[in-house]
Amino acid sequence: MLQPPKIKIRPAMKMADLIDANPHLLLMLQHFNIDFRVSDMTVWQLCSSHGISENLFVSIANLYNGFETKGHQPFTQKDLLQVIDFLKSSHDFYRNDMYPQINSFIRQLQEKHPMREMKLLEKFFNEYFAEVLEHLDYEDTTAFPYFITLLEEREQERQGTLYSSKEYGDHHTDIELKLQDLKNLLLKYVEMEGDLELRRRLLFALYELEFDLYIHSLIEEKILIPSGVLIEKRVNV
Amino acid sequence: MYSPPLHIAIMEPSKIIFEGLQTIICHSSLDCRVSRMERIEELTEMMEQNPVEILIANPMQFVNLEKEVKKLRKHYPSLAIAGIDFGIIHRQSMLTDISFTLYDTPEQIIQSLHKLQEKSRQSEQEREEDDNLSPREIEVLTCMVNGMLNKEIADQLHISVHTVVRHRKNITLKTGIRSQSGLTIYAISKKIVSIEDIDI
Repeated sequence: MLQPPKIKIRPAMKMADLIDANPHLLLMLQHFNIDFRVSDMTVWQLCSSHGISENLFVSIANLYNGFETKGHQPFTQKDLLQVIDFLKSSHDFYRNDMYPQINSFIRQLQEKHPMREMKLLEKFFNEYFAEVLEHLDYEDTTAFPYFITLLEEREQERQGTLYSSKEYGDHHTDIELKLQDLKNLLLKYVEMEGDLELRRRLLFALYELEFDLYIHSLIEEKILIPSGVLIEKRVNV
Repeated sequence: MYSPPLHIAIMEPSKIIFEGLQTIICHSSLDCRVSRMERIEELTEMMEQNPVEILIANPMQFVNLEKEVKKLRKHYPSLAIAGIDFGIIHRQSMLTDISFTLYDTPEQIIQSLHKLQEKSRQSEQEREEDDNLSPREIEVLTCMVNGMLNKEIADQLHISVHTVVRHRKNITLKTGIRSQSGLTIYAISKKIVSIEDIDI
């Protein structure tokens, strides 16, 4: 998988320099709904002008830079609601941006190389993406609403539901794994001549999707689920 | 053939135990260097800079981190783990390859480490071999692609289900492809099965 630069992000660093070192941070800004024209602002200034806590922003940015957050820092209720917005925005990105893009690359390739392997490859991707969509829908309709009621302390609405962060953690699977199969097939096995331009775009898109899905899982595993477990402990005592 | 010194990491909070192990290892015939670590997370960073072949750890430290340890093992197949057995956990932890107790003699401990070293080097070599499947693996793959279950494959090839599972693992290790549908495309590309046999 893509290996991000190991630069540990601190609040006093300039955002533009950080993007220079790791352009994938643009995707993070997009998920936070922050404009890319970051001027000369430091991370700290950017956070305060967008009402995002430094702790949250730096933790997620460091995941993008290849550092897992150390321990479970105390994230506030507002932070966690922002995490959910962030994750929802990345769902939109997968559904409405990445998927149609990759699908159209595979389709174009298949039209130019009408062998049956390509047809199978398309089928493989579509089946895979159906799984991803199912997972995203599950989060949108079950997991996130649960977390929101938990965070907003609307206990009555949770009464009688047997759902918990732990169950979410169990349901949570590594949805990026099958992408490796697709990449390996394209890089090692499926024989095809020419169309390097199109094939490179396809591979780049797969790498981009894989990386963002990986960060997505990390945010859930390292930030959302542990925080949910802590709140449940407090509420249920 | 030149082989670089073995890198052993010890994850054990007790200074007495750590230093004791370090002394035993350094005085042995093992050509190695020893690092100390406190948390399993440090291993990833270490692996990038200076790959660790053997991790010696008190398995109690893996409690609630089983998922992480399994991930690490998957990611670094050449990493071997030796558990220090304190007599608390009665059956051998699934996460370790070997274990020794604090009352084993230095010779016994070193012997276990030698064994692990061999294992680690072997899996490294396996990885460097090309991805050519053995004739048996090709047979198993063909059956899989035709949608046969492990039991059916075992019956047809007159082998045990356990062996089928082992072949399947090796196929995935060699090809880098995990899913059934991915392996189908692999088998077609490699002309192991004919395209006409596959329903699309």
